[in-house]
Amino acid sequence: MSLHFDGSVSRGNFTLRAAFDVAPGDVLAVLGPNGSGKSTLLRACAGLLALESGTIALGGQVLDDPSAGVFVPPEQRGIGVVFQDHRLFPHLRVLDNVAFGPRSRGVARAQARAAARDWLDRLGVGDFADRHPRRLSGGQAQRVALARALASSPRALLMDEPLAALDVQTRADVQGELREHLAAYDGPVLLITHDPVEALILASRIAVLEDGVVVQQGTPAQISSRPATRYVARLVGVNLYRGSAASGAVDLDGGGRLSASDAPDGRVLVAIRPSAFTVHAERPHASSARIVWPGTLRSLAPLADRVRLTVDAAQPVLVDVTPSAVAELGLAPGADVWLTAKATDLMAYPDGDAHHGVAG
Amino acid sequence: MSRRPRGDEQTGTPLLLVPPAAIGAALLVVPAIALVVRAPWSDLGPIYTQYRFWDALRISIVTSLEVTVISLVLGLPLAWVLARTRFIGKSLLRAAVTLPLVLPPVVGGIALFFALGQNGLVGRYLQQWFGWSIPFTQPGIVIAGTFVSMPFLVVTIEGGIRSADRGLEEAAATLGASRWRVFSRVTVPSILPSLAAGTVLCWARAIGEFGATSIFGGNIPGSTETMPVLVLQVFQVKGDPEAATALSLPLMAVAIVVLVALRDRWLRAAPSQ
Repeated sequence: MSLHFDGSVSRGNFTLRAAFDVAPGDVLAVLGPNGSGKSTLLRACAGLLALESGTIALGGQVLDDPSAGVFVPPEQRGIGVVFQDHRLFPHLRVLDNVAFGPRSRGVARAQARAAARDWLDRLGVGDFADRHPRRLSGGQAQRVALARALASSPRALLMDEPLAALDVQTRADVQGELREHLAAYDGPVLLITHDPVEALILASRIAVLEDGVVVQQGTPAQISSRPATRYVARLVGVNLYRGSAASGAVDLDGGGRLSASDAPDGRVLVAIRPSAFTVHAERPHASSARIVWPGTLRSLAPLADRVRLTVDAAQPVLVDVTPSAVAELGLAPGADVWLTAKATDLMAYPDGDAHHGVAG
Repeated sequence: MSRRPRGDEQTGTPLLLVPPAAIGAALLVVPAIALVVRAPWSDLGPIYTQYRFWDALRISIVTSLEVTVISLVLGLPLAWVLARTRFIGKSLLRAAVTLPLVLPPVVGGIALFFALGQNGLVGRYLQQWFGWSIPFTQPGIVIAGTFVSMPFLVVTIEGGIRSADRGLEEAAATLGASRWRVFSRVTVPSILPSLAAGTVLCWARAIGEFGATSIFGGNIPGSTETMPVLVLQVFQVKGDPEAATALSLPLMAVAIVVLVALRDRWLRAAPSQ
């Protein structure tokens, strides 16, 4: 039973146009910045918003098709939704929140409660069954919301920023569990997020949404190694440059050259990880590097175990170095540096969307 | 110098608000106190037996409760329709709902005559087909009471439904709840504070109602003579203001007890956001 979406929705000046399929057992993360249309997409799938054109289908059943006059209301779609703000019913205790779905489908109260208890135990929040939602922490509420969605035996599951409302520590805990629960669920899962880490960890496929358009779709590995737009590159934390390649030499738009023997001729994108650059205080001698750029250090920002440098070179470059390298080289804002990167660290590939302007 | 805030009090009181608030409170409280002070406390017993007091009190309480139940049954759906649906003429309907709030109740009573009287717009058919005559009956004062009281309930609850969290209703729908189930299990519980407030306002208006009920219901002792009607009778016709005061005391006591109890109950029960 796969979830099929191919349609558009307009809201004012904004138009969302997307097409994707989510196979049973797959998790598709729709990754995009605020205002990219993610929520609109989720609401359309859930039946909380009608398509303007196109089709939504689940396992062969058409749920929404304006041209055929079909619209299945949310209560008949059998699509579970975990909302970002959880939306637990404040007047019902946790157990009855989770039993609400089965009860709505006509299951007897005792049975519905037994099923609810089961789901709460499975998600590790069985101890809170008798509490009211306002007395739950963010992480607990998130688990209860997932239990509630799953207890209604949904044919597909939609999750809206499942981890966004959680604090950092809880997020780390829930992330792992959520991965397991999603793996155990056999229907299609659509996960809406603006957090690339969330997408990379939880999803088997990622669709990147920008300004209402899917700019890239693929596995997490494909997306992170070959980002199609600067937005995607920034999300996955790599430097991305556009340019024109001819016999292994790439002239970058906006200045700068690099050599990439495997670059196909024509318009290309070049992706380079921040950790791939080496920083030198002096011009490096007899280097086998494919990039040798002079530049000026703009700023330093400590990351977990590295320091991220922003360097103005032929292109703006993000570089990750160790704290000891910063000390050894005596790096400070304004310092003149040389950057090198090896051939194995460059990824050059055809620019699939040559007309698409460089975002951000 | 500013005072140390107590508990979770967020800010101090702006001093400019205090004088008007005090005058306003005095305007409401002083007449009530005057009533209590001037009441002929020693003669209450004889007055209550002399003037059909118990009948009037019973009728007032019973009919005001009937009005409240009917207003809830009809007014809650009406409030939902006004808050959530779109149709042509909705603004006219809303104006009609609010009309009894501004109409002098006596005019309301006359209007009810034109509608439900024996020659009225609808009344003539009720008479012809069922042999029903509504004016000057207890059902008549319940209808008149509903006419003047239900708008309070509708307006209050409509506001509650408008500000209710639609997100919860959406969540309920995605869990497979029918529209009726969403309404009864999610919408209604989430508007309980305004539901309670509307109901109390409606009841309060009903038990104090005089104009429309006296025109449309008359003052038949033991049937349509409510407490307010009796009080006016005693005051104007019998010329006995002391007795009128005495008669109004129990009504005031009932009202204060109920209002204080409900306000405390519901204001505390209101979800703390």
